[in-house]
Amino acid sequence: MKASLLSLLLVTCAPIAVQAQTSAQQPPARTAPAASKIATPGDFPAYKAPHTADGKPDFDGIWQSFVTADIDIQDHDAQAGPHPDIMGAYGAWPGGQGIVEGGEIPYKPEALAQKKANAEKRMLVNITSDDRRHDTGDPELKCYRPGIPRANYEPFPFQIIQSTDHIMMVYEFGHTLRTIYMKDNDKEAPKEAPADSWMGWSHGHFEGDTLVIDTTGFVPYTWFDRAGDYHSDALHVVERYTLVSPYHIMYEATIEDPNVFTRPWKVSFPLYRRMEKNVQLVDFDCVEFVEKLLYGPYYKNPGK
Amino acid sequence: MGNRFRVSAQTFALALVALLSASVWLAAQTKSGAAGKADTNAAKKTWVLHRTPDGQPDLQGYWTSLSFTPMERPAKYGNREFLTDEEAAQIHKEGIQHSYEFTFNDLAETPVYDATVYGLSAWQEGVAPNKRTSLVVDPPDGKIPALTPEAAKMREAARKHGPNQDYADPNAPVKADVAEDLNLGERCLSFGGPPIVPGAYNSNFQIVQGAGYVMIEYEWNNETRLIPLDGRPALSQGVHRWHGDSRGHWEGNTLVVETSNFRPGATFQGASAKTLSITEYFTRTDQNMIEYRFTINDPSTWTKPWTAIVPLSHMEGPIPEYDCSENNNDAVNILAGARASEKAAAEKAKKISQIN
Repeated sequence: MKASLLSLLLVTCAPIAVQAQTSAQQPPARTAPAASKIATPGDFPAYKAPHTADGKPDFDGIWQSFVTADIDIQDHDAQAGPHPDIMGAYGAWPGGQGIVEGGEIPYKPEALAQKKANAEKRMLVNITSDDRRHDTGDPELKCYRPGIPRANYEPFPFQIIQSTDHIMMVYEFGHTLRTIYMKDNDKEAPKEAPADSWMGWSHGHFEGDTLVIDTTGFVPYTWFDRAGDYHSDALHVVERYTLVSPYHIMYEATIEDPNVFTRPWKVSFPLYRRMEKNVQLVDFDCVEFVEKLLYGPYYKNPGK
Repeated sequence: MGNRFRVSAQTFALALVALLSASVWLAAQTKSGAAGKADTNAAKKTWVLHRTPDGQPDLQGYWTSLSFTPMERPAKYGNREFLTDEEAAQIHKEGIQHSYEFTFNDLAETPVYDATVYGLSAWQEGVAPNKRTSLVVDPPDGKIPALTPEAAKMREAARKHGPNQDYADPNAPVKADVAEDLNLGERCLSFGGPPIVPGAYNSNFQIVQGAGYVMIEYEWNNETRLIPLDGRPALSQGVHRWHGDSRGHWEGNTLVVETSNFRPGATFQGASAKTLSITEYFTRTDQNMIEYRFTINDPSTWTKPWTAIVPLSHMEGPIPEYDCSENNNDAVNILAGARASEKAAAEKAKKISQIN
């Protein structure tokens, strides 16, 4: 519930934040503003990113997206959330435009049926002490690590810590963490994933000023959104991060999974730098908020 | 990757005690650290502190706080602060052997845990010998100072808790009515810290330095601490954090980190979340070692502040993803086990009443 409440608040605030930023970039009001200087959404003027001491574009900072893709990565209307009888507007989900390039996800026919079944059972949780626990229910509902690219459009900030050999992405949601191995032929970071994981196994490199991250080695359990969009363990994600202003990263991810999709497809959206004075990540350890949902059937008094 | 033994914050002390006795076979097997450590005296003379591209002392890398040195000084050492070289070598050898036996004994009982795959055992992780007789260095007797009367009362009361909780009587009856009855580790909420102390296994860390920040990742649950170095004020008491909220600065080549704003119920040795403050000092002393010192100050728990030094030994990476809540079989099995015991007890009682 808290997640959807936060998402509602953040999404509601998003247009205001964007507007504030836009007006901050405008020249003082007393001189006649040149219309061409007002930023047009989706169209960033040419920009050269500042570099770190070791000569790489500097992605350090706290970032957050303001799309509603966590609800549905495709176009969607606003909808009542679970239990509108008690949750009212707190629990309702905002509508929004999708982030999928071209709008459609190229599912294989049988995979599309699976996506629909996922959506129908997104809140059906049945926790066992084996892998069957992952058969139904949106992993986000259970506070599981969101995978890639979903972690980047959940309604929570994340922080990039950039060093020469490693780029760390630390997410406020749960214990979500990514290590991006940047060193060529790193003996501590083999090319192949040593084991499957929720956030995958990531190697990065720079193409000009764009950070390119190649990730494989995923478990088959994460979803792309609450609408049941999913993948298999053959998922391969290539992300491109490009600084397009001091305050924005243009983010792009190409998603490939021959078990589920007929061809690779792409999502894109901007990430916004959090600019509040002294802003920092705090804890959203949702494990404590889902225990009754997950383990309630094993409680002494399950009904209470 | 989410497999874990159930070891609570306190049982590491017991495990350390268990980790003490001998064999030579393992010394030959030691992979990265311990064997390499013999050469460090020669290396030390030529070692120069490496700096990050922006000029900070470089603390980056993979480190383990695993140690065969007890937190408090055993009585047999009296006022002796340091071991002889021979004693230190012997304890190190025995510790390595015992950690091998510890992990492989467990392996026999729970074959799912393969110590060689999961890297649980000290002999893989290169713990360096430590010449100190205890981790506690102040007070000079090597003992944690006396508890305040209020804290002593609270710790006594904790004995009644379920046997998995800190300071509980291990023979106390299991309480597992709801998830909240389990300890924070079993619930995948927090494995503790700061301070960084040796655990029985998985006491591994990665330090990464970015612009204006130091990140410390704990292998346990991939918990992270993000430490700003820009001199910003501490958070107000309105925000509490599982690992406290940290601010760092450099004093010469030492990273000094001050931490407060802990969450009640998630503090080191049950200290008061309200009054606990911890100061940590990270100093790289050679290529394979960070001297890590911490001072605990909590006037509502201890009668005076105290300080310990934990050597952090370099280890090979990487640190894998630690999915804990995603596959938390502990929570299911402990709760389901408690229900099964209740059912069995009820059936037994029913049978007895039928016989009578």
